[in-house]
Parts: sequence; C-alpha cells; structure tokens
Amino acid sequence: MVEGLGDALAMKVKVNEIELDLPAGTSAIDAVFQAGYDVPYFCSQEYMSPIGACRLCLAKVGAPRKDRGSGEWILDEETGEPKIFWFPKPMATCTTAVMEGMVIDTKCEETKRAQKSMMEFTLINHPLDCPVCDKGGACELQDRAYEYGDGVSRFAFDKRHQEKHHALSPLITLDRERCIHCKRCVRYFEEIPGDEVLDFIERGGHTYIGTLDDGLPSNFTGNITDICPVGALLDSTSRFRGRNWEYRHTRTTSTDDSSGSSIMVDSRTGRIERVKAARHTKINHDWLDDGTRFGHEYVDAPERLKTPLIKEDGQFREASWEEASSLIAERLQAASSVGVAVRADATLEEAVGAHALAKALNGAYDYYPKTAASVVPDAPQATFDDLATSDAILVISDLTEEVPIADLRVKDALKGVTPPEPMAHGIPIADLRLKEHMPKKTDILTVAGPYHVDLMIYAGRKLTYDLGHEVALLSALLNLAQGKDAEVAGLGADRDSLNPLVNQLKDSDNAVIAYGSWVLGSAEATSLVNDLAEAVDAKLLPLAPMANSRGLELIDTTGDNVLGSASALLLSNLNPAQDTQLKQRLEGLEFLVVHDCFMTETAELADVILPAKTGYEKEGTIVNLEGRMLPLTAVDVDGGGSEDLTGVVKALGDALGSRLDGRSVRSARRKLKADWEIDLAELPSEGVLPDESLSNHFQASTASSSPADVNVVIVPTMVRPEYLAYNPSLETAHGALSLRVHPDDANKYGLPVGERVKLDVSGVTRYLVVKEDNRVAPGLALVPALPEQPLGLAFADLQRAERAPLATPKPPAPVEPTLEVSA
Amino acid sequence: MSDAVADKPQAITSRHDPRYQVTLYEHVGVENAWTLDYYLSHDGYGAAKKALTTMQPDDVVGEVKKSGLRGRGGAGFPTGVKWSFMPKPDGRQRFILCNGDESEPGSFKDRYIFEDDPHQLIEGLIIAGYAIQATKGVVYIRGEYHKGYERLVAAVKEARDAGYLGKNLFNSGFEFDVIVHRGAGAYICGEETALMNSFEGLRGNPRMKPPFPAQAGVYGRPTTINNVTSITSSVHIIRHGANWFAGMGPEDSRGTKLYQVSGCVNKPGVYEMPMGATFGELIHDFAGGTSEPAKAFIPGGSSTPMVPFTDEYLSAPMSYDGIVEKGSMLGTGGIIVIPQEKCIVNFMWNCIRFYGHESCGKCTPCREGVATWMPKMFQKLVMGRGEPGDLELIETMSDNIKGTGFCVHADAAMWPIDASIKHFRDEYEYIIEHGVSKYPRTTWWKD
Amino acid sequence: MTQLPVITPYFADKQEVVDEILGRYPDYGRRSAVMPLLWEVQRGERHINEARIAEIADIVGMHATEVKGVMSFYSTYHEHPVGKYHLQVCATLSCSLAGADEMYDYLVDKLGIVNGETDKEGRFSIQKVECLGSCGTAPVLQVNDTYFECVTRSRCQHLLDQMRADSLPEPWRERGGDNVSAEKAQPLQTPASQTSGGES
Repeated sequence: MVEGLGDALAMKVKVNEIELDLPAGTSAIDAVFQAGYDVPYFCSQEYMSPIGACRLCLAKVGAPRKDRGSGEWILDEETGEPKIFWFPKPMATCTTAVMEGMVIDTKCEETKRAQKSMMEFTLINHPLDCPVCDKGGACELQDRAYEYGDGVSRFAFDKRHQEKHHALSPLITLDRERCIHCKRCVRYFEEIPGDEVLDFIERGGHTYIGTLDDGLPSNFTGNITDICPVGALLDSTSRFRGRNWEYRHTRTTSTDDSSGSSIMVDSRTGRIERVKAARHTKINHDWLDDGTRFGHEYVDAPERLKTPLIKEDGQFREASWEEASSLIAERLQAASSVGVAVRADATLEEAVGAHALAKALNGAYDYYPKTAASVVPDAPQATFDDLATSDAILVISDLTEEVPIADLRVKDALKGVTPPEPMAHGIPIADLRLKEHMPKKTDILTVAGPYHVDLMIYAGRKLTYDLGHEVALLSALLNLAQGKDAEVAGLGADRDSLNPLVNQLKDSDNAVIAYGSWVLGSAEATSLVNDLAEAVDAKLLPLAPMANSRGLELIDTTGDNVLGSASALLLSNLNPAQDTQLKQRLEGLEFLVVHDCFMTETAELADVILPAKTGYEKEGTIVNLEGRMLPLTAVDVDGGGSEDLTGVVKALGDALGSRLDGRSVRSARRKLKADWEIDLAELPSEGVLPDESLSNHFQASTASSSPADVNVVIVPTMVRPEYLAYNPSLETAHGALSLRVHPDDANKYGLPVGERVKLDVSGVTRYLVVKEDNRVAPGLALVPALPEQPLGLAFADLQRAERAPLATPKPPAPVEPTLEVSA
Repeated sequence: MSDAVADKPQAITSRHDPRYQVTLYEHVGVENAWTLDYYLSHDGYGAAKKALTTMQPDDVVGEVKKSGLRGRGGAGFPTGVKWSFMPKPDGRQRFILCNGDESEPGSFKDRYIFEDDPHQLIEGLIIAGYAIQATKGVVYIRGEYHKGYERLVAAVKEARDAGYLGKNLFNSGFEFDVIVHRGAGAYICGEETALMNSFEGLRGNPRMKPPFPAQAGVYGRPTTINNVTSITSSVHIIRHGANWFAGMGPEDSRGTKLYQVSGCVNKPGVYEMPMGATFGELIHDFAGGTSEPAKAFIPGGSSTPMVPFTDEYLSAPMSYDGIVEKGSMLGTGGIIVIPQEKCIVNFMWNCIRFYGHESCGKCTPCREGVATWMPKMFQKLVMGRGEPGDLELIETMSDNIKGTGFCVHADAAMWPIDASIKHFRDEYEYIIEHGVSKYPRTTWWKD
Repeated sequence: MTQLPVITPYFADKQEVVDEILGRYPDYGRRSAVMPLLWEVQRGERHINEARIAEIADIVGMHATEVKGVMSFYSTYHEHPVGKYHLQVCATLSCSLAGADEMYDYLVDKLGIVNGETDKEGRFSIQKVECLGSCGTAPVLQVNDTYFECVTRSRCQHLLDQMRADSLPEPWRERGGDNVSAEKAQPLQTPASQTSGGES
C-alpha cells in the first residue's frame, strides 16, 4: 500500500485497455484476472502467501509518479495525462501491489517474451511423461505450456534424473522429476496446518522435496495432491486408476464429520476413485482432512451388502426388496412395540421418512449417537468465519481429530488476517496480506482437554484438566467471569492464569468458545458453557458428533430410549451389539431389521438385512455444526440393490399400503417445505445458513451418566472407526484404532505394545492396537470413539486385555447364493 | 579533475596524496591488534564514547549522511540515508545486522578485519546501533572464516567483560550487545533478505520486499543491514568528522575504501585507498604491476562485468559512477586481473559454475537457467563440443535470465558473461569453430 | 519387536553448551540456534546424521524435516562422515588462475579419492568448494577449519606428508597488500605513499 496516492480504498488501475477500481493492497495478478485477462502462474495459490518464485506471471508494469517538490503528478508533455514510468524490468504480478494509476500490459512483446522464456526454463527439466501421468488432462503445466510455451525445446541436454516413485507416505507418492519447485506444498504445510513436515532439501538446481518426518505426521496431508500444479504429488490410492477426463466429477458435501466440508468425488465405472476438496468459501476453503479425503474406500469394498438378506434357520439367504419388505411389514405390524433408530449422519429427508415410518407403525423414532445436551447453543452461534476472525478463542476439544477443518480455521485466526473476499474471478490468487513464516498470534488461543491435544502446540494457554472436570472448569470460568471466587483444583491451571483467560474473552468483541463432545456429553457442562458465553459475550461453536446431528435435532423424535424399550427394531447404520448388554437385548427381540452397508455384529443378529447406501450415494440435505443447510448430491456408485432410508420407507410403505412422507427425497422435501418454508431442492452448492434457528426438538440422551470408576477417555478421531477396516489406505497410513497409554502403564499392565488386544470398555467390546504415548498422563487410557460409544468417560480393566492378534474380526462376507437356495 | 576552489581544498583522490591516511586497515597485520588492550591503546572505543556521550542518535545519522558514505557491500546505497529509514522507536526490539558473509569471488577485505581488528567492528556496531536506536547487533560471518569467527567471539567477550558491551555504555544509558552468528557456506546469504532468513534458522532464500528490513527485518522487527566496512567506516567518520571523510573521493563517492587485488599481479592483497583513485594506480603503483601480460580485469568482484586491461579502463577512477561510465560496476572493489593466456571461455565456465552452485533454487530462471542450462552450455564449449548457434543461444538465454529473477543473483551471473562475449567474442567463436581453446594453457600452479 | 540400538543424544551431557547457544538469541528467536547446534554436532562427529537432526529439531522446536532443509541448504554441513583431514580446495576464479585445478588433480592423484569422497581409513576427504575469501593468497587449501594459503606444489606435498604423520603444521603466514606485518603497518598521519604492500 502506498500512502498518499489517491483514495486508499479505490485505486484506478488499467489492465491493457480495461480500467478498474481496486482496493489498495490488491495484487497486480488479481487486477489482471479481474479485468478478464490472463497470465500464467504456478507458485501462487488461493489462501496461501504469494512468493514470486515461478516468475511466470511477469508482465510489463508502469505507474505515474509525483514530483517530489510539488507533490503533483508528473505529466506527459504530449497528452497532459500523468506520465507512465515503466518499471525497468518485467514485474512478477503476484508480488506487486497495485498503485494509483498503475498500468499493466499483458499483451506487449516484452510481457510475452518474458512469459515464454520462463515457460522454457520451467520445461527444460520436466519429463515428457504426460501420457502416463495421472495429472495429464488436468495439469496446470500442460495447459499453460500449450497456451504460453514455444512448442519446441532448445535444451539439448539430458534432463534432471531423480526418484520417480517416492512414497512420501502410504497415501502420497512423489515424482521428483516432475516437480517444478513452485513450493506450494511446502508453503501449504507451513501456512495451513502448521505441520512443517515437508521441505525443500538441498539448493539450486539440486533442490528437491523431501521429509525426515516418517509418513508425514499430519491430519491434512492429502491437500498437497490437489494443489500440485503438475503430477509430482499424487494421491497413491487413485494412482494409475484413471485419466482425468474419464472421471465423473460430482460435487457434494462430506458426511464424514459435522463440518459439512465440500468435496469433489471422482468416480468411474461405478467406483469412487478419489475424493478431492471442493472449494467452500465459508467452511473448508480448498482443504480437507485426510479422514475425509481417503476414507471412501469402504464404498467399493467387496464385503458390501448389495441385496436384502432374510435369515432362515439361522442362515441368511438373498431376497428381493419386495419379499423382504412384505416380511418386515408383516412382522413389525405384529410386534408389540416398534422402534426405528438411525445414525446421526442420516439426511433430513431420511429422518422425515424414518419418523413417518415409525408413526405408521405406532412406534417410536430416534437417532444415535445422542449427546446429553443440544448441539444448538442458547447463546449466539458462531460460524467457521467467526472462528477464523476471532481474537479470543477457547477450545475444549481435541479439535484436530474431532472436526479437523475447525482446527484449520483456528489457524487462520492465528494469522490475524481475515478470510479473503471473493473477487469477480473468485478468491484472490495472490493475497498480499499473507506472508511466508507469519508470526502466529498464539496468545489469542486457549486449548483445554484432559490430555495433551495436538492443537495445544499453537495455544498460548494450555489447560490440561483432570479427567471429567469439564463442569468444574466451566463453573470456575463462569464464577470468575461473574467476579466470584472459584475452585481451581484439578483444572491444570491456577487462578492467576484463568483470570487472564476470562478477561481476554470478556475484552474481545468476537470471542468464540468451541466445545466438543466432552462438554456436550454433560447437560450441566453444556448449560454452563452457555452461561459462560453470555457472561463474557462470546459466540459458541458446538462440535456436533456426526454429520447431521444438528439437523436431526430439528425433526421431532418420538421415542424415549428406543434401543432400550422397543420389542422390534429397525436400525439404520447402527451397531449396538458391540455393547454386551445391548447385544443380549437384541437377541431377545421379537424382530430385528438392520439397514447397513456391512455385516456388522448387529446385522448378524438381524432377521432381515437391508443393504444401505453410503453418504456418497445419497441425495439429500444435512445441517452442519454451524446450522448451515448443505446439499448432498448422489455420486455414480454401483451400490447394487442398496437404498437409503427413503428407499426403505418407500418399500415398507408400499408393503403397508400407505404413501408415507419421506418415501422419496422429493416427498420429504415437500413435507419440510411445508414445515419450514425452505425449499431444500433449491439449495446452492455452498448451502444456506438460515437467518433464524429452526425449531429445535432436542431430547436429552437417557444414557447413564459417567461410571463411577473412570480410567478411559473416549476421544475423537478423524477417521470413521466404523469403516476403518474397509478403508485399507487410511488404516495403513494412520494405523488401526488404538489404545493409547503412557509407556509406564503399558509396562504396568503388561499391555503388548504394537499388538492388538480385545478389551471391554464400559461394556463395549473393543479391538484396539496398544500404542505408547508420552503425552498421555499415567493412569489414563485413550480410546477412539464409535458412533455407538460417544466421547466421554469410560472404564476398562486394562489387566484383562486379551491379545487378539488377528485384525478386528471382519464380519463374514455375504453368503454366496447356492443352487439350493435360489432354486 | 576540476580546478581546486580556493577556499575548499581539493578532494583527495590518490593514495599518493600526502594528506591521505590509512584508517580502516591501520591495525590490520599488526600482531595482537585483535586484543582489547592493543585496541584501547590506539584510541579504541573513543569514537563510540564520543558518539554516545556527546551526540544525539540523529546527529550520528546526520554526520554519516554528511560524510557521503555509501554502502561498501556492492550496491553503494548511502549508509546514512539507510539508517534514517528506521521507523520511530515503538518499543519493539531493533537490530543492526552486519553482513559479514563475504563470499563474492575476488573479495576478501572483511576477513582481515575479523581476524586482526574485530574491536573496530564492534565499535562500529555500537555507533550504528546507537544511531538507529538498536540495542542488539548481529554479525553474520561466513562459516569458512573460522579464525575470524574465533577472534570476533573472543573480542565480543573481552568487550563485554570490560563494559564496552552491555548496559549503560559510557554512562550514557545506552545498552548494546552483539550476537555473532556463523554461516555455513552459501553465497546467496550475502543478499540481505536471505541473510535474515539464514540468521533466523530458515533456508537462506531471499525474502520478498516489501516489507523492507527497516519495517520488518529479523524476527519481523525493525532492522538495518550494513556491510562490515560500511560499519567500520562510521568509526572513523565519528572520530575524524564527516568533513574529513567527505574530503576524499569525487562527488558521488566519498571517503576511503578497501580494494582487493588478485589474479596476475605481483603483490596481490588488500589496499586501502581514497575513492576516485584509478585502477592503474592500484594495480601498477601498489599491487606491483602484472606478473604476466594481462588482457582483462574484473573491477569489483566476480559479478561485475570485466573490462579490457587497457589504459582506457585503467585510467578510470575507482568510484561508483566512474566505472559505470565504462560499462561496469565498482561492486565490492575486488579486482581480478586476468592473464593474456587464460582462456576466457574456460574462465567464464568457472564463473558460471560458481553462480550455478550458489543459486538458492527459489526462482525458475535462476534454478533452471543459471544453475542448470547455462553451466551445461559452457561445459559443452569447453569440452570442444560447441556448435554454431551455441553462442547466440547463450546470448539470448542471458537476455531471458536478466531482469526476471526474484533477486539480483541471476542478473549478477549474467553480467560477466555478457561482458566476456562483448570483449572476447573471438575466443568463443574460436573454441566453437576449432573445438579447442585459442589459449590452451592449463598449467598455472607454482612449484 | 526388534530392539533398536539406543542412541545416546549428542547433547545428553552437554546441557551447558545447549544453554549457551540458546542464550545467544532472544526467546522469540529460538530457531536461530539451529545453525550453531549443527556446527556443534559437526565439530564433534565430522558429520550430522538423522538422529542428531531429530535431536536438534527437538531442542529448537522444529520438525526434523525443517532442520534437514536448513542443513542441506549449506555446503559445509556434511551428511556423511568426512575424513580426519577434510581438504577443501577452492576452485573459484582467483584460485583457479593460481592453479587450484592442478592442485585438486594432484590431491586426487595422491589420495585416490575424488570430490565428496572419504578414504578407507577415514583420514582424508576432498571437497571442491567455492571462493573462500583468500583470493589474494591463492590458491588456498582449507584443512578442516584452517586455511593454508599460497599453496605451491612443494607446500602441498609437504602438507600431505605431515598429515599422513598426523602432525598438521601451523599455517604459514601469507599476507599481501596493506595487511603485511607489524613493522610495515602505517600509523595514522604517515604519508601513505610509503605504505606499499608486498609479499614477504
């Protein structure tokens, strides 16, 4: 920004013949694109710092000058206009800020020559293996070389030879020959997640990308494959699976967690080959966590159920939907009490159907997992952008695992730069406010948790409170906020450090408190966090446990403890049989229908199994943790005869002889439009954040409170534990579900480190690999949550852990139809 | 030379002028000159005391401005003006950073200051730090100068122990200390923003400007970066006054400067001379003349364009503008005299190999042009595999590289190539046509 | 599980060295300590291996990758052990004009190793380096940290003999220009015309 040159808010800039008014601080490259012109570039990347390294965006640039003495513009004697002084050499437009009166010429010979010669240099060492490169057809270098290159090479020497198949991690393959050193990936790790696990090694012509941190320890590694402008960094799971033009690209919303991140799903011949980030300017920008990106392989797992199965004489046989539906309708009508329960990543439309079905059967409908308190705050709701622009943040969660995208947005806030405003051509290509190695404003961040969570590395204040002390922590903060005395024992902090936190939240105009299931698991803690927010005037960001936990609160549930009371059940994507007590109950049911993708422990107990669609195959709507309604678009996947819940409702409705609401997505939307006056069919791809909260029908969970004996924290995990066994790449990269203990405890209880054990965790049978972790307090064990065993406290007798050397017993594959059965 | 004005003495522009005094190198070469005792017995820290106790910081900046001192690192930016770019003190830590990453082939003046007269540098840092209100000085010394590093570290300790560094210096209330930071072999770290990165523990890639160091330098804090001899010059400017310094050298280039002579001369070494003295005076009168017939000389370190070894160029004054008129630059004042029998193509291969090896690899033209393609072209010529068109390709490639790099490294690598082709095109054409050099001599090592 | 050999951290018994190095820099500049720490390890072990890199990363609070990125940027940090006598031949312009290429060939011939190699006994290693700032006293041979200047063929031979006998001599004094000797250094006020330099 240049002081004293015209209006700071609007600078007159001319690109070729187009005149523009641009805010001060805009980069020249964005001026060019705003004007509808083009320059090539490789190193610049939206949401990251411009560095001027690739030099492709060079252009002839000039500006008028003021006379030092008079302060008047120096005029051109011929035209009487301010005289344009051209810079003596072409300027990298990505690192040049616009100035009042600046002129950018992208058409002149000088510009063209500079760009052409930079393209020549870029290409001299780039291999000519486009025909076998996954990026071919979607390659920035290919496109730009075609547009701006010369077509012939004058470089008559051998090209640089380097490693072509370097596995940076089980998920990412690096071809060092293809790298053009744009530094996007290196900057990405430093600037976006802050995990600097990739760097340039060596210098000059020998520079290459490398790591010493085994397997890229970060939850956000896959993004570098999206932003690599060439085929140097590739998603190993989709390598050599298809060419870009063969893929069908479907933009949809991820149901992996409650962030509602936008994804682009590339499918081919009925398979999902890869998931890439789709830009959502308010949620995930251009990024995804690895759980979301790589957690799709289960969709195409051979074990997936694709036809209805009916149990006869203890054996499942294949059946048609009609046969299965008639049987179900008949048996459920006969049952003394019916319950319909769905998992909380079901869409709004599915919930409408489940609700209608339960009603038609005089039964009850509910969803799981249930939090003890509503995921809709009473205090004002924060958005992701509120989080990213806050200057006082309190996080009570392992954010990096619970909702990883929220972790990235906290790191946006640490930069102290507001999210960029889109221009006519989109997000600014070169946001000059962003720099490499920006100091992080760690003092604005406080992170609290019962153990050392990853985000604490960036927190100016860390509170490692004693297990189960969420209520104590929040009441202490509330008391301090109300000027009262507070008990601080067990909070991992003394009063002198809690007071500044409270004051910081109070003093801030945009404080945000983000809290996950450790708080939501307690009605008292949730109520306290709402009171605290009101006392310090902060907004709240509750981290809902599943993709549509928030949306399902909006649909009336009709049951109370459906799982525990009904005598016949229809369970969609739920696996309560992992709990030994519930398993016994399920075994005693009059009738059990399971709607799922896989033969789970619960499905094995079922009388009828209906094959379910995954979140990728659904059409529908979810409500993310901000309250934003987001559309799901069905990806072209060969799911065989699987159906989502609306399909189940249609089939059962037909068998019952009634047209139920929610028998199709359209039908459910008609119902919701009548109730809410929102037409979900019209949702834009970035969704809608309704102005007012829709009515909330939350019913608290009836799950028993914390067991008296506690030594386990159920912790969030970025991967979906229920599908991990069917996501081999993700399991290879991140390891199986683990039991994390302090090395001393592993010793004390004789836990076999690195081996798999079977362990009863508060009644739920878990298969876990023992991992030592110095950051876990002695006496504590961390176990990842299941949808059926939500975050919170639990008990396990570690001494009774049994070795279970085989992998989690994979449910048997569907029974192959035999001649006798089909006859 | 214009006639002297009656009331204003003519500026000293020759070391033969009896009024000329050696100052920067007064103690270099003297046994034990690196000790505090020796330094104190030669009016050591007197200038710092004078500045801190009798002058305001702005007066020091003013005095240096008035002296006409220009940066001795190569670019020649007026030192006092640079100092005045520092923002007003705002409570943030401020730094004076001394660039001692002397790596330009042909330059070796700072090395002997580190080794023989480190207290002079410390005193200069105190003065510069006081002028810009920085309480921390940093000396970035190139990693290979091990002896210099040890002497400097010892001197800092001595000074600290004796109260010449620390709090309340000379009872003025001013606090100052010095961090000595050792490089590890990277020419590019002599570029000021790369040097800041290197000091901060990052890779030594140049940084984007703006922000300029004065706004956000090391650790994002206000910083001024000066060459070693710019800083030591300030000691003598304060001691003898700006007028003394301004009384030497032509209008654009005041003061005394260290010149380094190497190559085929009889007495290579560092010579302190007033600015404006001619190359001829330095090479013939002080460096003992050439040891064998010479055909060219590089006037200011390897990046400056070479010029023929003729009277036309030897009579040029060693001043910032004087040599620019002749198509070259003064740079660091490192003069390399090239013998007649040295093959220019071979010499330039050595030169471009150096720039290629030292490219940081950040930007495309430098990584692919300077570090990869251009050295391969020269290697091809030297190996006798040159083809028609190669010389033209080198020339157009050089044009494509110049003015497109992120920092000036790429340009600095091309200037000498352009100059060698301009003056010795026949040698290039000869080696391409014949496959052997016009000057095939390969034995230069003395027994 | 296979038991990996336990590697004693380099700085395990050198906390005061670490403290001194960290103490040089302000709190917010902890990262600056990475280069001096690398120097420290290299001085002790003649190279810096990955375990040491990880150790340094821990000390300064960086990832090992970043430390490696920094270390590999510079040409004087070694990944593999160099010899007891690490011979660094300046091959740049002025030294080249004084016969550095022949000196390099001579060393290769005598030692049987080339640029980047260490001999079997670990006594010698050779590295071609760029300008060492000894242009006025070319050619220069840097042995570990010490400069040997104006190296003639006979001096080079003598040096090799001495190193083979493990008695590296003190470097001879070679100066040109104004920096000649105590007697010749000119005090202020002396007509400069008498201050002529020259090799002794």
